[in-house]
Amino acid sequence: MNTRVMKENIQADVTITSISKRSRIIKENLTGYAFISPFIIGFLAFTFIPILASLYLSFTNYNLFASPTWIGMDNYIKMFTADPRYWQSLKVTLIYVLAGVPLRLAFALLIALMLNTASRAVGLYRSLFYLPSLIGGSVAVAIMWRNVFGDLGIVNIVLDVLGLSTVRWFGNPTAALWMLIFLSVWQFGSSMLIFLAGLKGIPKSYYEAASVDGANGIQKFFKITLPMLSPVILFNTVMQTIAAFMTFVPAFIISKGTGGPLDGTLLYSLYLFIQGFEFFNMGYASAMAWIMLIIVGILTAIIFTTSKYWVHYESEGGR
Amino acid sequence: MKKLLFSTLSLVMVLFAGGCGDFDLVDSAESKGKEKITIKIAWWGEKPRHDYTLQVIELFEEKYPTINVEPLYSNWDDYWKRLAPMAAGNQLPDVIQMDMLYLKTYSENFLLEDLIPYVNQELIKTDSINQTILSGGKINKHLYGFPLGLNAPAIIVDPHLLSSGAGNQPKDNWTWSDFEKIVLQVHKDKGIYGTNGMKSPDVFFSYYLRTKGMDLYNKSGTGLGYDDDQLFVEYFDMQLRLLDQGAFPRADVTEQIKGIEDELLVKQQSAMQWVYSNQYIGFLEATNRQLELFPPPGPGQDLGLTVKPSMLFSMSRSSKHKEAAAQFINFFINDIEANKVIKGERGVPVSAKVAEKMKPDLSVNQKKVFDYVNKVQNKNNIVEKANPLGSNEVVKLLQDVSEQILFKKITPTEGAQQFRMEANKILTTNN
Repeated sequence: MNTRVMKENIQADVTITSISKRSRIIKENLTGYAFISPFIIGFLAFTFIPILASLYLSFTNYNLFASPTWIGMDNYIKMFTADPRYWQSLKVTLIYVLAGVPLRLAFALLIALMLNTASRAVGLYRSLFYLPSLIGGSVAVAIMWRNVFGDLGIVNIVLDVLGLSTVRWFGNPTAALWMLIFLSVWQFGSSMLIFLAGLKGIPKSYYEAASVDGANGIQKFFKITLPMLSPVILFNTVMQTIAAFMTFVPAFIISKGTGGPLDGTLLYSLYLFIQGFEFFNMGYASAMAWIMLIIVGILTAIIFTTSKYWVHYESEGGR
Repeated sequence: MKKLLFSTLSLVMVLFAGGCGDFDLVDSAESKGKEKITIKIAWWGEKPRHDYTLQVIELFEEKYPTINVEPLYSNWDDYWKRLAPMAAGNQLPDVIQMDMLYLKTYSENFLLEDLIPYVNQELIKTDSINQTILSGGKINKHLYGFPLGLNAPAIIVDPHLLSSGAGNQPKDNWTWSDFEKIVLQVHKDKGIYGTNGMKSPDVFFSYYLRTKGMDLYNKSGTGLGYDDDQLFVEYFDMQLRLLDQGAFPRADVTEQIKGIEDELLVKQQSAMQWVYSNQYIGFLEATNRQLELFPPPGPGQDLGLTVKPSMLFSMSRSSKHKEAAAQFINFFINDIEANKVIKGERGVPVSAKVAEKMKPDLSVNQKKVFDYVNKVQNKNNIVEKANPLGSNEVVKLLQDVSEQILFKKITPTEGAQQFRMEANKILTTNN
C-alpha cells in the first residue's frame, strides 16, 4: 500500500510540478505563520499598536480620561523650551547612566576575573554574586536600600566607626543620586555572568605563550584579556546603557515617587510617570517617551560607531 | 491540505481551550452573584484608618447581607497613582474616597456620579447636615463628593518641650511675632527645633493668604489669587530667619521624614507641629504624651481659619450597583454605630445628629478636636471649595519651590516669581 501511495504521489508531482511546489511552500508558510500567530497577535496588540498610539498621543493633549485633542508639536516645544524639570531629569539620568554603567561593568568584570580562577567554591560564589541581580529590580531591594542608607543605617554606622562624617543620604540631592548609582553597581550579576562566559572563551594557549615571553599579569590583562573580551564588553555596554536609561523602580521607591530631594533622583522614566499618572499629562508623557527612544538610539549608535576603534573580532584576523 | 487543516485546528484548539475554562468560571460566578452583589470601596490612609474602615465594612455587611464589599486601600501617594489607570480603563471602584485636590479633575472628566438624585430619594439622608458643609462637595450645583468630616488647620504643641514663662506659651489669639519668639526661645533653652517644617506649604501658605483676605487660587481657577509677591516673600523670609538661627529644621532634615513615626514632634526634636486638626489623635497615639491643640497665629485668624471637608466619598459613574454604593455612603455618614468606630478620624462628622450622639463616648482629647472645629465653623462659615484643575501640579510646584528656598538654592523673591510664572501657566492651560 505504501508503495502505491508513493507512486501516486510521484506521478502527481510529475504532472503538476511547479504549481504543486508553490502551493506546498505557501501551505508550509501558512502553517508556520499560524504557529507563530500567538506571538504576532500579542506583539501587535500589546507592543506595536501601543507604540503607534503613543506616537499619536505625543502630538495631543490627553489627560487619560477625556479623548485626546490634537496640538501638533506643542508637547515637544514645551519640553525643550518651557520645562526646567525636564532638563533636570535629563541631567540626572545622564549622570546616572554615565557614572553607573562604567562602574557597574568594571565591577562586574572584576568579580568575573576573580571567579574565573579554578576553585572548588566558584559555583557557590557565582550564584551568590548573581543573587542581587535576580532580585534586582524588585521593590524589596529598593526598600532595603532605604534602610541601609537611612540616618541610622549600616552605611552611616560604618562611616561613623571609621571616624568619617555621616551623610544624610536622602537629604542631599547629590548623595541621593549616588545612592541610586551604588544600587545599580551592586546589581552587576547579569553582566558578570556574560563576562565570565567570555573569559572562558579565551584560549589558554595565549596566556601560556605570553608567560613564556615573560609577560606579567597586568600586561596579560591589557594585551590579551581586554582585547579578546571587547565584543562582550560592547554587548554589555549597549544592553546596560539601555537598561540604565529605563531605570524606574529604585528611584520611585527610594524617593517615594517624588524624585526628591530637590529633584536629585528625578530619573527620566520617573518624571515621565509623574507627568502621565500624577499630573494627567499623558500626551506630554508620550512625547517624553519618544524623545527618550531617540536619545537611547543616538547613544547606541555612538557606541556602535566608536566600537570599530576598540572592539577586536577574532574572526576578522585580529583587525 | 489535510495537514494544514489539522495543524490549524490544533492551533485553534490551543487558543480556545483556555477560553472555554474561563467561560465556565464566569458562569458559576454569575450564578452565585444572583444572591449577592459586590461593590468596591477605595480609600487612602495609614494602618489605623484601614483597620477601623474594615470594621465599618463588616458592620455594613451585617446590616445589608445582600451586599458584599470589596475594599481597596493604600497610602495617599500610591492611591492616586492606582486610581488614574482605573479611571482611564473605566473601571473605577464604586465608591472612591476623594480629596478637594482631585474632585474637579475627576468630575469634569465625567467619571463621577451626581449624588443629588440619591439625596432626593433619601438613599443618602441629609436632614441633619448643614447645607453649607455639603456645598464643599458641590461643583456647579452637582454633588460630586459627599463630605465625610470636617477639618481645620491647627498647631499641635508639646507643652513639656516649651520654655517656661508666661511669654513663652502659645495662646489662642497669638501673632506671628509671638510664634517666632516662642520658636527661638525653645531652640535657645532646649537645643531642639521650635517648630516642624510647616509642611505641606500649600496648606499653611493658603492659610496665611486667607488671613490677609486673599487666597491661593483666584475665583475662576485661572491663576493665583494674590497679586502681591511680597506676601510670598514675607512668609518664606520668616522661615529662613528661623532656619538661620537653627530653630527651624533644614530641608535635608525634613526630607528624611517619611511617616508619622519620623516626625520631629514625635521624636521630641520639635515643640510644635503644623497639622490638620484630625491628625491630633494620630499624634497623641504616636507620641503617647499630652499634647495641646492651638490655632495657627494671626492676625486675621478668623478669616484664615476655614473648615474643609477632609475627605469625601464619590460614586463612580461606571458603577453597576449605584444604589448599593449610595447605601454604603449613607451608612458611613449617618450610622451611629459606624461612627462610634470611626471616632471622627476622617474629620468631625458632618451630621450634627451623629456628632451629638457620639459626644458621650468621646475621650477628652477627641472632644478637643470636635470643639476646635466647631469653634472655627462658628466664627467663619465658609467651607473650602474644590481646587481648580491642575492644582495637584501647582501644589507640587509650590513644594519644589519651597524646598529650593529652604535649601538656599534660590531666594524667596526668586521663588515668588518662579512660582507665580509657572503656576499661572499651569492654571491657564488647565482651566
